[in-house]
Amino acid sequence: MNQRPAYGAIFLTFVRNSLMRDMSFRTNFVIECISSLSWAAMNLGFYLLIFQYTDEIGQGSGWGKHEFFVFLATSMLVNSLVQTFFMPNCEELSELIRSGGLDFALLKPIDTQFLVSLQKSDWSSLSNFLLGLGLLGYSQWQLATRATDPLTFGPVALLLYPVYVLCGVVILYSLMIALSATSIWMGRNQTLYDFWFYITNFSRYPMEIYEGTWGSPLRWAFTYMVPVLVVVNVPARVMVQPLRGENAFLALFALAATVASLAASRWIFRRALESYRSASS
Amino acid sequence: MRIIEIEGLRKSYRVYQKREGLMASLKGIFHREYREVQAVKGIDLTVDEGEFVAFLGPNGAGKTTTLKLLSGVINPTSGTARVMGFVPWKRDNEYRRRFALVMGQKNQLWWDLPAQESFRLHQQIYRIAPSDYDRTLGELTELLSIGKLLRQPVRELSLGERMKMELTAALLHSPQVLFLDEPTIGLDVIAQHNIQQFLRHFQEVRRTTILLTSHYMKDVAALCRRVVIIAQGEIKYDGSLSGIVDRFSGHKVITLQFAEDEPPREADLVRYGQVLEVQPPRAKLRIARAEVPRVLADVLARYTVEDVAVEDRPLEEVIAEMFAQSETRSD
Amino acid sequence: MVGRVITWWTILRICLEERLVYRGDFALGTLMRFLPIVTQIFLWSAVFTARDWRPLQGYGYEQFVAYYLLTMVSRAFSSMPGLASGIAGQIRQGEIKKYLIQPVDLIGFLLLTRVAHKAAYYSVAIAPFALVFFLCRSYFGDLPDHAATHSLTTAAAFVVALVMSFLLGFFLETSLGLVGFWFLEVNSLLFVYMLMNFFLSGHMFPLDMLPEPWRTIVELCPLQYLAYFPVAVFLGKFQGGELARALLVEFAWLAFFVALSRILYWRGVKRYSGYGG
Repeated sequence: MNQRPAYGAIFLTFVRNSLMRDMSFRTNFVIECISSLSWAAMNLGFYLLIFQYTDEIGQGSGWGKHEFFVFLATSMLVNSLVQTFFMPNCEELSELIRSGGLDFALLKPIDTQFLVSLQKSDWSSLSNFLLGLGLLGYSQWQLATRATDPLTFGPVALLLYPVYVLCGVVILYSLMIALSATSIWMGRNQTLYDFWFYITNFSRYPMEIYEGTWGSPLRWAFTYMVPVLVVVNVPARVMVQPLRGENAFLALFALAATVASLAASRWIFRRALESYRSASS
Repeated sequence: MRIIEIEGLRKSYRVYQKREGLMASLKGIFHREYREVQAVKGIDLTVDEGEFVAFLGPNGAGKTTTLKLLSGVINPTSGTARVMGFVPWKRDNEYRRRFALVMGQKNQLWWDLPAQESFRLHQQIYRIAPSDYDRTLGELTELLSIGKLLRQPVRELSLGERMKMELTAALLHSPQVLFLDEPTIGLDVIAQHNIQQFLRHFQEVRRTTILLTSHYMKDVAALCRRVVIIAQGEIKYDGSLSGIVDRFSGHKVITLQFAEDEPPREADLVRYGQVLEVQPPRAKLRIARAEVPRVLADVLARYTVEDVAVEDRPLEEVIAEMFAQSETRSD
Repeated sequence: MVGRVITWWTILRICLEERLVYRGDFALGTLMRFLPIVTQIFLWSAVFTARDWRPLQGYGYEQFVAYYLLTMVSRAFSSMPGLASGIAGQIRQGEIKKYLIQPVDLIGFLLLTRVAHKAAYYSVAIAPFALVFFLCRSYFGDLPDHAATHSLTTAAAFVVALVMSFLLGFFLETSLGLVGFWFLEVNSLLFVYMLMNFFLSGHMFPLDMLPEPWRTIVELCPLQYLAYFPVAVFLGKFQGGELARALLVEFAWLAFFVALSRILYWRGVKRYSGYGG
């Protein structure tokens, strides 16, 4: 009986259970899909509006209309994955802590962080993933077939892209779980949760927009201290810019940042568990 | 063989004070006051394999905290404990696969799915071999009569049925040690009885070591020979059920039935002891133990008595009084 | 009368205390509301850089920043978190009954609690607001002559527009919530409203930017009064006769929603009682 837990099979069961649950509330599922898609569509509309008034974002930044849409698509891919697999769990973690339901997680003979981070999935958020893929395909095609200076990208880019999308997901997850875990110390935590949204808001734009007296320090802080700018920028750049110079450096850094974020979040989670008081019965 | 060994276990909490008023709340942004609450004040206990032990105590006595300490859910402030040789709060996966905790009125099964899906998840998590799983599930389903309910979403089940599902889930991996925290709380009498029957049968067959907390006497009386009474974080008594009355109760209750035409009134009876109830032709008196022979002799001599019963005070009363006493003592 | 004042003061005090119970929450929460603007401003700065700082649809860069800061103020007045869903929830749970039995007017009561709530919250939150506006005062330097910074009439009009947007927001959301008398689940409706509100009230971008036919459509909707309109007044986009007319139209919308909520309430209650409690 001295076996290590079968994390793969357990994850598949989690995913299966969530899918079953989502399907049992079919109308709700459809409504949620439509909701997230309409939100994404409105957002897209907003950027279409902006590009009525300008050809690119930032001067000489390289983010013209279609490049920016690749960026936007990448943002959709990363965020939809986070929203599908991690967001329902991190939201629930605060509630588990408050109600004492975390007790049950601590009883199970598997890693608590694994259990608490992955047990529920929200499948309706994957609709945005599909939209992101569509937008990515369309924009890349536009870039590759345009008359002036068509974009070329090789198999390396196609291979690295999903890797960096996953890195982005892991970084956002680490931030999220670390913040949720602090509700063990800080009690009711709506502000912290909003905090996550505000911080990750910075990741939705190309890092080039952060310049100037206020911008540059922000850019530095959000790349090297809380690496949210790495999340969407790196994979997007992999797709639309050559992998040289600053891009190559950032790509390497992104890998290191992913590992570091995960390690930091794990440390915080474990410290939090030590302070767990459970709820009074 | 000793399976649970607890020595000097303590757990205290900080509770933050909130005071009334606007200024106090504003001050609260900068400085918080707190006080220490000692939930468990030094418990020593040993339990042998296969025993069925009950923890009795009023609310806030520390029963649930003790179980949570033994489950590894919380860390102690000081003291040691070993269950099956493991230190619970280290949360070894090996330890966690060998015990189970069930908490009354707390649900860990997926709310919207049929229980059997949650059971399947359990199987994955505990790595239960398919043959063992089928066999154990079959046994439990039969013992608890939940066959038809397995496919229903848990939210549609009644409280008693949900409790049965929780128990099933807890026992699927055949734990050696079972902790039950108020398992019958909130259930109707029939459901309580069913669960009690099940637990007794299960324990006899499987020889699982069981620790049960409750504040229902019926649970305890039905299931355990050994009772540990906890109040205010300390063990007040550890022994058999009947021993409690002997130890803690200094009184007996005498019920008298008088022959009809001359029943004495309350005023006449008061000199014997406390009159609990007078409903002619019956009367109930509370008499100090040592006085019982003398009082009986006197009453029988004075009046015509049709029927006499000499009983111990109800266990609940004894225990309640014991809790109340220890509370006043510590004040 | 005195009784009413005492009740008001108690409600206010309790609201504030409730806010302050979780100390960590409150301290951070208010300042953090300004964070989304920061990214927006950077975005627009990048757009303006690409345009060589040419004004965009009548807005220079500084005015864009001023615009966003001011929408924080107009949204502080007009946003009604939980109002519509609260009403719908109360209808669904049957709690409406207590309003039918007691001589208390549901809408009036809700309005009073909202006023108390906002007063309580912003009496404390005004500090971070003031701080931010002070730090950003340079963005308000270069406004046209009839902007509120130079003209008292415009400033007064701004205040009037704000008060009306508070009431408009209130009665609009109340009407939405009252739809709960007819449909059990209003969440989808509320979501659509929220979506429209977010993108088409001027919260995300000045409505001037919209091309036709969107511009006209949005101008015919009342959503613009929830964020865009008071700010446009402040920035001097309306003058003289235009200003008076615009305020009157806002008032008309307000009157419409007051009437609508009243009618919905009256008919909803009739329908509700018809079921025999």
